[in-house]
Amino acid sequence: MSEYVIEMKDIVKSFGNVHAVRNGQFTLKKGEIHSLIGENGAGKSTMMKLLYGMYPIDDGSIRIHGDHIPSISPKIAIEKGIGMVHQEFMLVNELTVLENIILGFEPRHGITIDFDKARKTVEQYINQYGMDIQLGKKINQISVGEAQRVEIIKTLTRGANVIILDEPTAVLTPQETKQLFVILQNLRKDGKSLVFISHKLNEVMEISDRISVMRQGNYIGSVSKEETSPAELAKMMIGREVFLNIEKTQTKPGEKVLEVKDVWVSGEKEISKIRGVSLDVRAGEIVGIAGIDGNGQSELIEAIAGLRQVEKGSVLLDGKELGGLSPKQIRKAGLSHIPEDRNTRGLNRSMSIKENLIAVQVGEAPFCKGVVRDDKETLEYAKQLSEVFDIRPRDPEISTQSLSGGNAQKVVVAREVSIGGKLLVASQPTRGVDIGAIESIRKILQEVKAKGMGVLLVSADLEEILSLSDRIVVMHEGRITGRLKAEDANEDNLGLLMMGGTASAEERGSTT
Amino acid sequence: MDLGKIFSVSLIYATFRSATPIIYAALCAAITQQADILNIGTEGIMLTGAFAAVAVSYLTGSWLLGVVVAMIAGLIMAMIMAVGHIRYKAEICAIGMGINLFALAITKFLLNSALGKSGTFSEPGIIAIPRVSLPFLAKVPFLKEIFDNWCITEWFVIVLIILVWFVFYKTVWGLRLRAVGQFPMAAQTAGINVNSMKYRAIAISGLIGGLAGAHLSLGYSKMFTENMTNARGFMGVAAMYFGGAHPILTAAGCLVFGLTDSIGARLQAYGVPSQLVLLMPYVVTIATLAVSMASKMAREKKKKSALAKA
Repeated sequence: MSEYVIEMKDIVKSFGNVHAVRNGQFTLKKGEIHSLIGENGAGKSTMMKLLYGMYPIDDGSIRIHGDHIPSISPKIAIEKGIGMVHQEFMLVNELTVLENIILGFEPRHGITIDFDKARKTVEQYINQYGMDIQLGKKINQISVGEAQRVEIIKTLTRGANVIILDEPTAVLTPQETKQLFVILQNLRKDGKSLVFISHKLNEVMEISDRISVMRQGNYIGSVSKEETSPAELAKMMIGREVFLNIEKTQTKPGEKVLEVKDVWVSGEKEISKIRGVSLDVRAGEIVGIAGIDGNGQSELIEAIAGLRQVEKGSVLLDGKELGGLSPKQIRKAGLSHIPEDRNTRGLNRSMSIKENLIAVQVGEAPFCKGVVRDDKETLEYAKQLSEVFDIRPRDPEISTQSLSGGNAQKVVVAREVSIGGKLLVASQPTRGVDIGAIESIRKILQEVKAKGMGVLLVSADLEEILSLSDRIVVMHEGRITGRLKAEDANEDNLGLLMMGGTASAEERGSTT
Repeated sequence: MDLGKIFSVSLIYATFRSATPIIYAALCAAITQQADILNIGTEGIMLTGAFAAVAVSYLTGSWLLGVVVAMIAGLIMAMIMAVGHIRYKAEICAIGMGINLFALAITKFLLNSALGKSGTFSEPGIIAIPRVSLPFLAKVPFLKEIFDNWCITEWFVIVLIILVWFVFYKTVWGLRLRAVGQFPMAAQTAGINVNSMKYRAIAISGLIGGLAGAHLSLGYSKMFTENMTNARGFMGVAAMYFGGAHPILTAAGCLVFGLTDSIGARLQAYGVPSQLVLLMPYVVTIATLAVSMASKMAREKKKKSALAKA
């Protein structure tokens, strides 16, 4: 018998061209809570979905209770005692709680379902762990916290002794999180082994016995809770980039180009993911938003760009209220936007470089004469931009599908900074691009600022925030936890604020 | 116009009689709908069944054999659709319409080549599904009038509605089927083979669709004519939408069609233009779909982000 309940070794998994997991390692001991942490896209969820048999692994090996399992399906995983609480709940809205719990493992009475027996079994678990669950209600009538408890009960009734929780607290209120942690501790007491996936470091420090870190599909290391600190974990998660020394251009900030006043915004899964954010950006300065991914930065940017509805509060661009305007109207008002995901929002990957470069001006002169597009003019413009922004290959007619991450991102950057708006919103502008491209994109941002544009920069990379920004605001769980001038900021005080801590008195005194 | 003559006791049976083929079709559509597959091919499956039933009944002299072969024919048509949709990922509406067109053509072709007729096939050699009366009902004056001399498949449709309801809501299979239709990922994580469930749903749908056809040609009438389903399959699909794929509500929706049809037939006797009367079922179909779609739209919440998640 092995020391470990679960052993995952040298795991590799790609989806098309995306290397979700390059080098995955994971072990789980009996009766421990083991956190798997990393930024969005680090591969932590994929690792656990592979363990649960949601997709086959490309390479590597998985052992459960010491037995090598060559290929896993959810059915085999369940039989081996593995249960998973997915980030997106696997519950059928129109069915009752009880029906959802027994789905796939229904106690039978001939061909019919033995609901009495089912209820008895489930109630036994509910009582054992003191959970609050109403079996007769339909899923769409219960709260998110309750739905999560239903998911946990579901794994227990299927006989799980290993339970994987994929970012379970992302959708919970602080009170619900506390309840969940009590349940998790009780499960551990009963000898269950738990995997806790998260990127919220304070929670990880509270609940875990051991912590493993992943970054960009690679296993970084495992530490026990006693031996580590949130600061060390953050460093492991985010990693140090090669220091890209860029001389900060000194400019005199002008008028306010962006004013965000007490804005509240809903997220995909939670209402009011952003709660009362206020900030402003002046012409000729870069304001950096620092924060661990998933703390509301994306929602804030989408709200500014008109892609997400603002619950309350107001956003002003160059003094003009943006509420109720369409994304196109907001662009007309002077917004340039480098979206965080170039593949789904930044580019149309099935179209050429040329077409992507004029995507936001397609109906306008000189690229359009009446209703007819002017291809010659477009090509001329595209050639010019390719030259200036060093987009390789230097052929604007080819499809963006074949471009490397860096060159694809340059197409987006070239388009956005060339339309000459008043505000540039740059969201993760250098994520997943090579060093050369990082350098040139950072330079471009400096140039844009020198020309008098206001820049709002969102980056999970502290290095980037520190080297580019004139002012820095830090977001944590949908609120701004700190505002610092660039000269007062360093990785330590930002890191603390990113984890929800508060700035010390003198730093608060120097806020703008 | 004598309203008393139009709304007489006999209207109850007339309504039920015209509704029965549509109820079968609607149940055929409801089963796949529970697995989130829109069975637009119901019409074609039913037409194939209708032809097979008449041909086999005529050639063998056995109505029962006719019904069985009709169900098998329906099954074959349904499986073509299933393989195309599940294995080769064809758009279900496209392949369903393909099945409908194919059914029109193949029945016409076989009518000419195998039975040597064109247009209509109506021979004394066709053995129809027998009609029976339940003796205990025959003694009750009012009920006697309603339940007199029903075709076996008319009795059976009532059994089938209840049976399908029971399967959907009381059995293990039904629970899994509904889970597959409403949230396939949830079913998959519960260890259920989603594709296999879909195949089974379409197969059963094919059997019922074939039976729908057999009833139409051997029970409701005693002949086969080209395109004799005459959009009953589509009406079944509309009724299924109306009833949200719930067998009992769906059947109730079909009765609306039956009622329209029988009132129309009676109005014709009073000089209402026949074209107008023939138009009515289609008007009701569109109205039914409009009402059920509008209520469905209202239920669905708006997406919060402007773009769908990749």
